[in-house]
Amino acid sequence: MQEVERYKLSTRVLHWIVAASFLVLAITGLFLFAPWFSAAAWWGWSGVAHRVAAAIFVLVPVLFVLFGNWSRSMGFVKEAFAWGKDDVEWFKAAPDYYFGGDPSRMPPQGHINTGQKLYWLTVLVASAILLATGVIMWFFKGIVTAEVIQWSIFLHSLAFIGLGVFFLVHFQLSALHPRMPESLGSMIWGKVSAKYAQSHHGKWYDRTSADQEAQEA
Amino acid sequence: MAKAILYDATKCVACRGCQVVCKQWNELKAEFTENRGSYENPKDLSPETWIKMEFREIPRNGSVAWLFTRRACMHCTDAGCVTACPTGAVYHHDLGFVAYDKGKCTGCGYCVDFCPFEVPQLDGSRVTGLGRIDKCTFCTTHGLDRIGNGLEPACVKTCPPGALIYGDRGELVAEGNKRVAALGGNATLYGENELDGLHVLYVLTDSPETYGLPKDPKVSAAATAWKDIIQPLGWAAGGLVAGGLLINLIVARARQIRAEEEK
Amino acid sequence: MTNHWNDIANADCMIAIGSNPVENHPAASGWITAAKERGAKLISVDPRFTRTSAIADIYCKMRSGTDVAFIGGIIKYVLDEMDQYPEKYNMVYVTEYTNASFLINPDFEGPADLDGLFSGYDPAKRSYDKSSWQYQSPEEDGTPKWDKSLKDPNCVFQHLKKHFARYDVDTVCKITGSPKDTYLEICKTYAATGAPGKTGTILYAMGTTQHTNGTQMIRSYAMLQLLLGNIGVAGGGINALRGESNVQGSTDHCLLCHILPGYLKQPTNKDETLEKLLERVTPKSGDPKSANWWQHYPKYMVSLLKAWYGDAATKGNEFGYQYLPKTTKPYNDYSWIGLFEEMYAGTIKGLMCWGQNPAVCGPNVKMERKAIENLDWLVAVDLWETETAAIWKRPGVDPSTIGVEVFLLPAAASYEKEGSITNSGRWAQWRYKAIEPPGQAKEDLWIINKLVLKLQELYARESGPNAEAITKLTWDYGDSPSADKVAREINGYNLTTGKLAASFGKLKDDGTTSSGNWLYCASYTEAGNMMARRDPSPGAFNIGLHPKWAWCWPVNRRIIYNRASVDLDGVPWDKEHPVIWWRNGKWDGDVPDGGWPPMALDPEKTKYPFIMKPEGHARIFGMGRADGPFPEHYEPWESPVDNLLSGTQNDPAFKIWGSEMDLKGDRDRYPIVCTTYRLTEHWQAGQMTRNLPWIVELMPEMFVELSQELAAEKGIVNGGRVIVETARGKVEGVALVTARFKPFQINGQTVHQVGLPWHWGYTGSSTGDSANMLTPHVGDANTMIPEFKAFLCDVRRA
Repeated sequence: MQEVERYKLSTRVLHWIVAASFLVLAITGLFLFAPWFSAAAWWGWSGVAHRVAAAIFVLVPVLFVLFGNWSRSMGFVKEAFAWGKDDVEWFKAAPDYYFGGDPSRMPPQGHINTGQKLYWLTVLVASAILLATGVIMWFFKGIVTAEVIQWSIFLHSLAFIGLGVFFLVHFQLSALHPRMPESLGSMIWGKVSAKYAQSHHGKWYDRTSADQEAQEA
Repeated sequence: MAKAILYDATKCVACRGCQVVCKQWNELKAEFTENRGSYENPKDLSPETWIKMEFREIPRNGSVAWLFTRRACMHCTDAGCVTACPTGAVYHHDLGFVAYDKGKCTGCGYCVDFCPFEVPQLDGSRVTGLGRIDKCTFCTTHGLDRIGNGLEPACVKTCPPGALIYGDRGELVAEGNKRVAALGGNATLYGENELDGLHVLYVLTDSPETYGLPKDPKVSAAATAWKDIIQPLGWAAGGLVAGGLLINLIVARARQIRAEEEK
Repeated sequence: MTNHWNDIANADCMIAIGSNPVENHPAASGWITAAKERGAKLISVDPRFTRTSAIADIYCKMRSGTDVAFIGGIIKYVLDEMDQYPEKYNMVYVTEYTNASFLINPDFEGPADLDGLFSGYDPAKRSYDKSSWQYQSPEEDGTPKWDKSLKDPNCVFQHLKKHFARYDVDTVCKITGSPKDTYLEICKTYAATGAPGKTGTILYAMGTTQHTNGTQMIRSYAMLQLLLGNIGVAGGGINALRGESNVQGSTDHCLLCHILPGYLKQPTNKDETLEKLLERVTPKSGDPKSANWWQHYPKYMVSLLKAWYGDAATKGNEFGYQYLPKTTKPYNDYSWIGLFEEMYAGTIKGLMCWGQNPAVCGPNVKMERKAIENLDWLVAVDLWETETAAIWKRPGVDPSTIGVEVFLLPAAASYEKEGSITNSGRWAQWRYKAIEPPGQAKEDLWIINKLVLKLQELYARESGPNAEAITKLTWDYGDSPSADKVAREINGYNLTTGKLAASFGKLKDDGTTSSGNWLYCASYTEAGNMMARRDPSPGAFNIGLHPKWAWCWPVNRRIIYNRASVDLDGVPWDKEHPVIWWRNGKWDGDVPDGGWPPMALDPEKTKYPFIMKPEGHARIFGMGRADGPFPEHYEPWESPVDNLLSGTQNDPAFKIWGSEMDLKGDRDRYPIVCTTYRLTEHWQAGQMTRNLPWIVELMPEMFVELSQELAAEKGIVNGGRVIVETARGKVEGVALVTARFKPFQINGQTVHQVGLPWHWGYTGSSTGDSANMLTPHVGDANTMIPEFKAFLCDVRRA
């Protein structure tokens, strides 16, 4: 069966590092939310884990951007902001589609689809907020006013709710959903079947196969 | 029946017996201090120092006045720390004051950030965030519970000039108002209505600011927002989405199987 | 204290002068707060604004060492008012109960005539011939010569007016540096307690006593109180706030060089026989109305000798009087300063240092440390290794060059032993042992018992000079002595019946009674240990006498001189706070100062109220003092200014040794006044607190308090380090720059004053320079208490 490369190795490694650190952050962060988890906080050691994970969560992508392929990194960022008419169509068709309805009404999608774009955008914005407020809470206690700390806590929590909720959707669609059988594998092995690529990311498949043909020619 | 401590600044002589006995009863360590050009020490409250006396020199009538103030947990009714504490480690005792259960504390430090009086203190590493938080427990620390055993708090017990009294809050408010009326002038009773009522009441000869107390302390809107918006929002959003996703999964699976069967 | 701690609550006005009760007696100062709650006014007079000043209604600054001027001005204010408005004062009290009306020898002259001196002064001996300071000879029937109209120019009252006429408000404020309006407010406020039924109390402590004319300062307080009718009444009196919990007890039991237990006089080598001694010390009065209580002296002396020597004390051997050591020099020489001069000179070879830490607490401690170093041996009995015990390894010395051999005996702390303490209010309170002492620490009683038993054994075997003084001692305490047995011995016995003596009224001079201290006779009777009583009931008139709580000397009398609290008919001046009251032919209330009927009701049987004086009247004119019958202002030994009142700069009668380390600083080099004091947080020489981390946390370091003005002048910043230097030494500490110290304007000249706590030394967990490196080696003319409170220094940035 013909396969198409979807994610380079470095991208996959980056994804999993960020994913793992995010999970640690989310769980240790949740200890602060849930009284019944307090015993698991281990007298504050969860806080240490949170800080270590936060450093990884922030620093690894930064290093990727700095020492990786600049244009590819920018390409990722651009993806989040490239919106068009098809995205509107996607929103109309998606509810039925994801509840197992007729796939033919879905407009063709690029390298990532509209939903993924939305998630990606949330990741970027929420991470920026989490980073900024996190740094304030971590390093600026006693330096900035109590109000700044207080509202940082508020925003940090708010950003986490947004990101956390979206993460659940992301996890379900990429790992569990029957419509996306090759999604998880693609992030592990880097490849999807041509058929899958064509049906799920039509525009991208057309473009990449055109590129490939051009190269071969 | 809510209990409280009445601190009468007109009777306090800053002997600091309360500071020492608090450490003795609650088994707190001495801190390393140095003389910083003042009688005051340690520098501030800390997990090892739950009460300290403040000394203020202010000009008065061409001479000087030396004002003494008790600095310790005010045991608010509308308590920023209780509002902000995610785990219930800081909580309202049945008798009204703010107790603290070390066992439940995750060390997040939100109580430190949300106290309008900057009372709870975190002593730890800025880098790891690891550290101890502690504060006055109104002598209800587990194993050292004076109140539960029918005793008054240690500071009240030791106070030589009788500047501290312990009793039913209602009675102490009445007593405090009586003393303030007798003092006249700028005298005020601090804590009667502040933050819906403090469980440490202050008889002051002058305005609260003169004694370094905030005139109109408020729990930050951020604390309320955090407790009343973020917490429910978080659980609601998380719950709804998780539920929705579960339904989606079941429906999508079922329809896909049906579609395949139809094929 | 004439009164007691609880009684302060009855006062209408309180002056804390030479004392800082809130800081140094924080628990007892609750009675001050109690009085304030009743509406009483607190006046704080201090060079520095203290924690006492913080709760005072009036604070007035006063340069250290100028108490006589300060109080003298109030006395003048009162005397002037008495002329104009006698109805505002209790003139009956002044006329009938004090010696104001007594006529004085016409030869008497005072400082107003003699440029600051009294008649009879011998500058070579620095002492007075007091013969001109006496009353005129009494009438035939024994009645004193007096003028009850107080007009006779030779009467005490007129002498008093003449003496204090020079103490006008302007002069006083130029001397003390006090603000005039505040000073006048104090005069007015305190003089108001002179109205019959109103009371004021004077609370003093070491701020008063530790001056070369400290005794006269106290005299000035007492005289003011007598003029205002404030002695003997509830909420009045002259109250020495003792610096330690049991200083009163130690004084009562004679831990002083000039007395035996119960304030009996130390025999000198001129008192060759008991008869001669008793002849000298027993006062006589021909006045039938004088109780002259000290006429019983022989009974107390013989009973003391019987307590000490038991069966070995017989009529035939003067009850063992010859066993007692006799002094050969003036008593000054046996005082602290005198003893350390002797050690310094090498005359004294050994020292038992019992709960004392002279290497921190002594004056001119650099010299006294050197003096200790000169000893052959030193026994230190203490809870910690004190600076004194560690003298041989103190900073800056080479231990191999120091010969003194130190024995450190670990002692039990107060909670680790049973016994009594006597507080400032003369209440002897029994305390029980709470815990066993740690390690090898032993009770003092155990230590002294072993020591005496060994001495008796050695003297019995080897003999020696006056060996019987030791071998004949009644010493029957066994191997571990009990405080209970000692307490009974102190009370005394009827030796015929073997029963405990009921009171000192029952003591006899024929050898049939014993009493280790006549003042404590009645403290432990056949009814039990009175000191152990714990019945808190307030007692008569609800003025807080608490007669069944512990026991109070003398004979459980809570307020002494209480017969002055009533008028001539026995009716209290203050009916709200009566101490005693003559009703239905007897006295109700406190134990009266003698049960005789009131003076106007039964002129035959009555006695004057001040029973301890042979004339039965309180002495406004006091001929017993070394340096004058009236207090006169003199400058401290080291002073930044000349005496404004006279050409006599210093008290003329205190002894100056002047050995090579007794240096005196001059005002050009050392222009700043310096004083020393204690803090709430530390205790005395510091061993009991500088080893406690919780306390060290509160007051971690030696510091120097100084004014913002002086700091600005010297470029000193708050929290920085400063050096204070005197002619004798220097100390370094943290600068505590404060608005609570203000420069004084002394006769148009700016005088700065700084203050230092004296708690630090070189051993223990918190160490620092000892303030006594700075203090001079001179003391009071009457008591030899060192002048710790006023001397000259210079201050600079470290």
